[in-house]
This record gives sequence, structure tokens and C-alpha cells, in this order.
Amino acid sequence: MSAVGAKPQAGGAMDMPATIAGIILLLVIIGATYFMVGPGLMFMALIGIIIGGLAIAFGVHFVPVGGAPAAMGQAPGIATGVAMLAAGAGLAGLFGGAWAAEQGIVVAVVTGAVGGGLMMAITCMFVTFIYVFGMGIPCASGKVAKDPISGDTQAEFKSQGTEGHGLPFVSYVGGVIGGLLGGGGGTLIYIMLLDVYKEALPGMMQALPAQVLPIAVSLAGIFAIGMFLVNAVLTAYNITGTIEGPHDPKFKRFPRALVASAVASALCGMVAILIVAM
Amino acid sequence: MESIAFGIGITALAGALATVAGAAENTESDIGSQGDPNSQVQLAPQMGYLHRIFNKAIAGEPPAYGLWVCLGAGIAWAFMAMQINPILALVLGSALAVFIQGVYATTAYLGRTASLAKFGQPVFVDVLKSMTTVTMAHAFVAIFTTVTMCHLINAALGHPFPLPLLGLVWGIALGAAGSATGNPFYGKERQYQSQKFGAGVPIAASGNIVRYAEAGERNSLDNGWFSAKLGGPASGLCFGLIVFLEIWRTVLFEHVGAGWGAIIVGIIIILIFAVIDRYIEVWARKNYGPYGKPAEEGS
Repeated sequence: MSAVGAKPQAGGAMDMPATIAGIILLLVIIGATYFMVGPGLMFMALIGIIIGGLAIAFGVHFVPVGGAPAAMGQAPGIATGVAMLAAGAGLAGLFGGAWAAEQGIVVAVVTGAVGGGLMMAITCMFVTFIYVFGMGIPCASGKVAKDPISGDTQAEFKSQGTEGHGLPFVSYVGGVIGGLLGGGGGTLIYIMLLDVYKEALPGMMQALPAQVLPIAVSLAGIFAIGMFLVNAVLTAYNITGTIEGPHDPKFKRFPRALVASAVASALCGMVAILIVAM
Repeated sequence: MESIAFGIGITALAGALATVAGAAENTESDIGSQGDPNSQVQLAPQMGYLHRIFNKAIAGEPPAYGLWVCLGAGIAWAFMAMQINPILALVLGSALAVFIQGVYATTAYLGRTASLAKFGQPVFVDVLKSMTTVTMAHAFVAIFTTVTMCHLINAALGHPFPLPLLGLVWGIALGAAGSATGNPFYGKERQYQSQKFGAGVPIAASGNIVRYAEAGERNSLDNGWFSAKLGGPASGLCFGLIVFLEIWRTVLFEHVGAGWGAIIVGIIIILIFAVIDRYIEVWARKNYGPYGKPAEEGS
């Protein structure tokens, strides 16, 4: 209700003091990590984790989420929470990416991205299926007069008293792009941490690399899931409720989330690396 | 060749288990009003519409199922480490996780409903007694099938993640797919069955959910019966396809082009689903037509 009633604020304006504080914090964390672990695998892993976090935060903005109003056909989007849907897609991507980890970082990250995109492509198709064949409701955006991709006009397909409903094609494409970025970002974080743990754990635990591999995989996996949720929830706060996809005015808020996500990812990454470096 | 045939067999079995899991998950969440439509179940008494609908939404479906499936998988994994037969371990792990779900459902219903006391909404003990066990039964089906699917992926297909981690990943994905697909059908078509078919619920009607059945007051078992007709099977197909296609492209095409084969097949599948989605969208625009003037809309 409140999400429908709220006026969409285009407010992409950056709060400059907060942005500068965020960037300083980011540089301090990167500098501290460099000071403690030096240039090498661990420092590069931190940079990779920050890039992965940024990809997740940016990707979540693409995912069309309508929350509770979408479940009543009162607002466009998928009827669930922003962070939850993005997590579902990103983790499905992480599953594929982890499977392909031994084939190199590029193949693994792209495999993870495609896994996330695949999950969103199927889910979004079924959302349209339920709206059209289960509820007899066509797709209509409440934020734009014409679909930017298909060019379909939207207003006349919007039923009275609602903000629109279903997934117009631009939202579908946004969902797939969100899944691609989320799956790729999550996999990048996993691969970076896996490399660090595979390198550091045998010496720390005085065991053979093959013996510590299950521990390295588990640690990297659980940290990757945790960092994924941190970035997805941070972004959900930036979106405040619902978003239709890349055509929604709220999409312009993404620079704020990127700064916050970089700081959060750097901090989480530093902790994840220091548990084996110190 | 034999290993590929084995892989495809396991893939098909995992897809089938995921399909059952998705259907059970959505039906369970609709009986418990756990998805986004719970907002209306919670809102109705505040608007003066008292009801007998079960209401256990204190967490979204994805984190709740992430917890339960991870718990089931973790306990099963521990039992297997104790050399207990894997099938027995999977059943025991899932059964213990379902008890956690039962505790969650009970406290959630009591807590959420008690918070509505000032609006005159009673806590119905008979609702608690009759609905909780039904959601637990559905949750058992969803958790057991998902944990078994994760065990197959781990033990037979050799995924590097340990069983509890796979349980967390696929539990969250199960909740995401089930809530995305099934929620609108329960929220719009069932809770607002009295509204006109083929249009969204006007915001002004919020809270006025259908509270009476053919005989007496509607309860959540009626809602489970209704959503099991389309929302449940569609959620099952959605999750089943996600699991099946994700594993299928990896098992068959992982070694083609040094890993790029699986990527290209994945992109092709995404494009195919995009075309199907666009076809359905255009079909709806042509067949349902525009709503026209506000006075005529909703027909």
C-alpha cells in the first residue's frame, strides 16, 4: 500500500559530504589492507571483491520488483522483495559459477552470470504467464507512456485504480540483466576468496592442499553468499520498496548505492581475507 | 557416454524433485499466507474485516526456505557423516527441519494475530491446530525434495559445495521462484475473488478480502485447494525448469569449447524464454484489448 501511495522520487542526487566520507572510508580500508597483506594475491582479491560487490549492487537496480502491491495486480513488477529475488537469482548463478571454477576465472564468472540470467528469464516468463493466463491481466507500466524497448503504449492497458501490472518487456529485459550482473558479481567474489583460501589454508592448518579444499570451498561459498546479501539489502534500502526496472526514475539513484556498496564490500572483503592472513 | 547418460538421468530426477518442491512450497506459503499477499491478511482487520485466515508471515519465503532447507541439509549431512544410510538421513534431516517450521508457524501466527487485538481480531485456536499441521506436511514435501535434489547434485554430479551450503543456495532460490510465480495468483485471484476478473485490484479495495466460503467462513485450507490448481503447479514448473536447465547445460556442454559451450547454450535458452515472454505479452494485448474509458474498465 505504502509503496503504491508513495510518489516516486527521481532523486538521484548524491549527498556530497556522505559520498566523500564514503570514498575516504573506502580508500582507508584499501590502504589498511595493502599495509597488512602487501601487494599480491590477497590485495588483488580485495579489489575483485569490491568489483563483484559493485556488479551486484548495480544489478539489483535492474530487477523489476513490485512487492506486495504486485501480488494484487496494483503495481508492475514481480511480487516479492528486492533483496530476496536478487539473492535467488544471484545464488543460482553462484551455483553454476562455482561448478565452473576450475575452468578459469573468465569462464566461471560468465557461467555464473548466465546462471543468474537464466533463473530470472524463466521466473519472469512465469510471472507473465500467471498474469496473462491465470488472472487475465495484460502487462502495463505505470512509469512510462511507451515501453522503451518494444515501443508498446502502456496507459490504455492499465486498469483503473492501479499503478499498472505485470512485466512489460523492458522490465523482463531488466530482470535478465539484473540476474546476469548478480550472478557474475557473486561468482567473482567466490573465486577471489577461493584463491585466497586455497593459498593460505594449507600453511595455516599444516595440511595438504587437497585436505583443506572442502574447507576453502565452504568458507568462500558462505562468505560469497553473505556479501551478496549485504549488497542486495543495501541496494534495497536505496530503492525503497518497489522498482520497475531500468526505465523507472528510481533507477537513477544507483550511484549512491555504488558508493555504499564499495565501502561495505571492502570492509567485508577485508575481514574475509584477514581471517587467514593474520 | 555412460557418464553422460548417468548425468542426464540425475538431471532429470533433480528437475522432477524441484518441480514437486516448487508446487509444495507455493501451496504451503499460500495456506500460511506467507508471501506478499499477507499484507492484505494483516490489513483486513484494521479495515474492519475480521477473518479466519492463517497468517505466519514474519519472514519472506526465500530466507525462510533458505533456513529450513539449509537446516534439513545440514542435519542430513551430519547424519551421513555418522555413517547413517543416506536415504534415512535425508528423511530425518527434513523431518527435524519441519519441526522448526512448525515452531515458526505457531509463534508467527500467534504473534501476528495478537498484534491485531486492538482491532478485535481473535486468535482462533482451532485455526492454529488445523492449519499448522497442514503447512508442516507441505513444508516436509518441499524440504525433503529440495534436500534430496541437493544431495544428488553433490554426491552424484560432484558439485563442489557441501550439502548445507547447497541447501541454503537452492532454498533461497526455491522461495524466490515460488513467491514470484505463485503470489499474484493467491493475492489477486483468491483473496480478491469478488473483484472483477481481468483487472488489477483497485487500491481503494485494499483490505476487503473475501472472508466467506460456500458454507461458513473461508479458511486457509480453501486457499491451498485453490492455489494448488494453478499457482502451485506453475511455481513447480518454474523452479523445476530453473534446476533442470541449469544442470542440463552444465552436464552436457561443460566440456564443449573449454566451458564456453555451456555459456552459449545458456544464452540461447535465455533468448528462447525472452521470445516466449514477448509472445505471451503481445497475445494478451491483442486478445484482451485496452481497458478503454474508466467507466467501462474491468470487463
